[in-house]
Amino acid sequence: MADNEDQITPDSPEATSAKLNSISSSNEHARVSDGEKQPKSSATPHEKSSPWLIIWAGLSISLPLLLLYIYSCSPQTLKLGQLELKQILGNQDIDAMLAALDEPEPVPVKVTHDSTSNLARDSADFTPAFGGTIPILNKNYHQPFVLPPYELPVFADTTKHRILLIGDSESGGLRYPLNDYCLANGHKIILSLEWYSATTFNFGRSDTIQKIIAKYKPTYIFLVFGLNELYARDLKARKIAANQLAKKLRGIPYAWIGPANWEEDNGISKVFQSSADSGAYFLTKKLTLTRAGDGRHPDVQGYRVWMDSIATWIQTSSRYKMLMKPPRKRGRPFRAPVITINAANYRGY
Amino acid sequence: MQPITVDINWLNQLFAPLRDPKTWESAFGYSTKEPWFFTEFTFLAVFGVFLVFYAALVQKNTWRKIYLISFSLFFYYKSSGPFLGLFALMILSDYLFALAIEKQKGIKKKGLLWLSLSYSLSFLLYFKYANFFIHNCNDLLGTHFTDRDLFLPIGISFYTFQSISYLMDVYRKEIPATRNVSDYAFYMTFFPHLVAGPIVRAKDFLPQIFTPQIINASLYKESLLRILTGLLKKLFIADYLGKYVDIVHELPANFSGAENVLAMYAYSFQIYFDFSGYSDIAIGIALMLGYRLKENFDNPYASSNITVFWRKWHISLSSWLRDYVYIPLGGNRKGEFNTYLFLLITMLVGGFWHGADWRFIFWGLSHGLALAFHKAWMQLFPSKSTRWYSQVFGTILTFHFVGFCWIFFRATSFGSAFASIEQIAFHTQWKDFAGFWISRQEMAIMILVAAFIAFFPPQLKERIFQKTQVLPTFTWILWVLIALQIIIQFKDDVVQPFIYFQF
Repeated sequence: MADNEDQITPDSPEATSAKLNSISSSNEHARVSDGEKQPKSSATPHEKSSPWLIIWAGLSISLPLLLLYIYSCSPQTLKLGQLELKQILGNQDIDAMLAALDEPEPVPVKVTHDSTSNLARDSADFTPAFGGTIPILNKNYHQPFVLPPYELPVFADTTKHRILLIGDSESGGLRYPLNDYCLANGHKIILSLEWYSATTFNFGRSDTIQKIIAKYKPTYIFLVFGLNELYARDLKARKIAANQLAKKLRGIPYAWIGPANWEEDNGISKVFQSSADSGAYFLTKKLTLTRAGDGRHPDVQGYRVWMDSIATWIQTSSRYKMLMKPPRKRGRPFRAPVITINAANYRGY
Repeated sequence: MQPITVDINWLNQLFAPLRDPKTWESAFGYSTKEPWFFTEFTFLAVFGVFLVFYAALVQKNTWRKIYLISFSLFFYYKSSGPFLGLFALMILSDYLFALAIEKQKGIKKKGLLWLSLSYSLSFLLYFKYANFFIHNCNDLLGTHFTDRDLFLPIGISFYTFQSISYLMDVYRKEIPATRNVSDYAFYMTFFPHLVAGPIVRAKDFLPQIFTPQIINASLYKESLLRILTGLLKKLFIADYLGKYVDIVHELPANFSGAENVLAMYAYSFQIYFDFSGYSDIAIGIALMLGYRLKENFDNPYASSNITVFWRKWHISLSSWLRDYVYIPLGGNRKGEFNTYLFLLITMLVGGFWHGADWRFIFWGLSHGLALAFHKAWMQLFPSKSTRWYSQVFGTILTFHFVGFCWIFFRATSFGSAFASIEQIAFHTQWKDFAGFWISRQEMAIMILVAAFIAFFPPQLKERIFQKTQVLPTFTWILWVLIALQIIIQFKDDVVQPFIYFQF
């Protein structure tokens, strides 16, 4: 703020008359006002704007964009030496791209009760839902498997799971209500890996998850991330990374929880859904969650509501079901180990 | 011999969007997900086509005006949808109020001015500050008012200030009230300055309506250069820096002091390149249409003290605050104590204008105190030193003060801001800077490049700009193509909206 620039008072008669003189009353806008310094113009007095130049100006902007658009539609990529010229992002048909990059899911085996040792068959609350055949999906993917119909009310697997929670900053909030559910249902969270600001690239390209799995040997994985990728447009690259991530999870039941969108994404939810095993992806973005002060992360209540929805889904209609009855007591202390890393310091690859 | 086959199936993809009804829906409809920015390639392509038709109307004053108003209203509809009605209502009411103010005298005139200002400000207060007041009321008085589900109409902070300046200028008889509502609508809706400034004064702009600049080769090159510079500033530099800033400010306590220091620098440059880039594009687009908007930035970080900084940073806002808040309060005409008080009030208003949050108020207050301190210092020690080392010291001090204040501007909360400051104050080690250079070399280079450009002498910039005038007109299409490809090469896939977009 310039403190010495208020020399002319607002209603000073000199200033007012000087300014008024410069504006004609009949055609008040035909002249330049208040003696302000006008920018230099190289135009001669009788020169007029050239329509052809304006058309050329329009073409100067539109034609390069058209060329770049045509290039982005072509299957070829041009190279300048070693440098590959990228194409305009975000104009692909997302569904077609996802279909092209989809990989066939592994076919799990039909397992009977006899071949399983870790199934609890004496649950009073839940009865086996489809006869004597219960899918156990953590081994032997070589024989045909029929997915259970989704409308089944409750799955009867009462296995006490060793749960590994992996995710971005969202997992830091979700771990508390998840902990309540685990304590109420006899599960145990063995580790919460909170990788702040992480994206699909961190999870997919790195071997961090394999190492954690090898060390902690979870029987169920909760995967929750994607909040940092709502605006992502390079979906092709993210799809490849998501496929890599899905491969790492093979052999272990999991729930892939979609990001808690605060607004519509550019297709990242579709990418996750297409990479996850069918029925193993929870589409969070349909929920309305209350938000924390930043307007993006859910608040305490939001995380609880979110977890309630996830629990209902896991118990009733997810592909990898487990017992998730609502807890009677909430807000219990979280005692499992937590590893926090930040994508800024540790990309993982 | 094998017949040569050329796969041209991909050509179908070229026209696929035209066959898809969603394309047309998104082209003409309003979606909160796809508001029009100047950096959206869709907008730029449409603007190019718009110019082709503009060429036919450029010599016809009335038709040119109608065409520009129509496109501007469409642009606003694409940004804010149904709030177009609110905007139109505001334009109409301002027009009528101004005519009434001009006719009245004495107390009636003053009364009308207050009524019109209250009316204009009521929209801004409701949409931008209602929830802020509700929260504070609940906290202080223990009430239980619920939040309003409000969408802030794009650009409301800017056009409300334009409306106020017009009404006050008419009241002060600095300009006559416009007789034709379309003239006023043209001034208010002119799309280059509509959503994020510069805050244009009616007395500067209205005279240009029927006397636009002559669009010749020189103006064409100047405008295109401004647009390209703006695009590169925003999409290449600011967005790239923003990636790092976002990561650190998500949880500053998780980062070393050095990383927080560099995040402070990165954000200082991000906000400058973001907003000055936007202003460059706005000025370039307006110039291409034959209208010259005032400059909004003038190498602010090269300022040797905070007073000079505020003459060069967001000039249209700082001069607005000076003319419509500081001077009406009394300026420096009502004693020394009052001068400091008015300075603080003015900067508080400026801070609050930036956002409905105590952090912005604190930011404004800090700058107000710094301005008052500098003013007092200059009175006590009226040194006129122009020695280079005192200038350099002053510049470094000013830049660091401004950067420090930006922490409160960027942080998600006071807690987060203080966490960042704590890391900077107590956990900064030289070796971490070396670590940053090793682990994030590209980001370090970008911060250095940004610093180099921000502190680059303006005279040299001007000379470089003038050199570009010798490039033949027909070659500019190639420069646009190269600039766009550079942007695509480095473009963040997560494009950040302009920081000032919703202020």
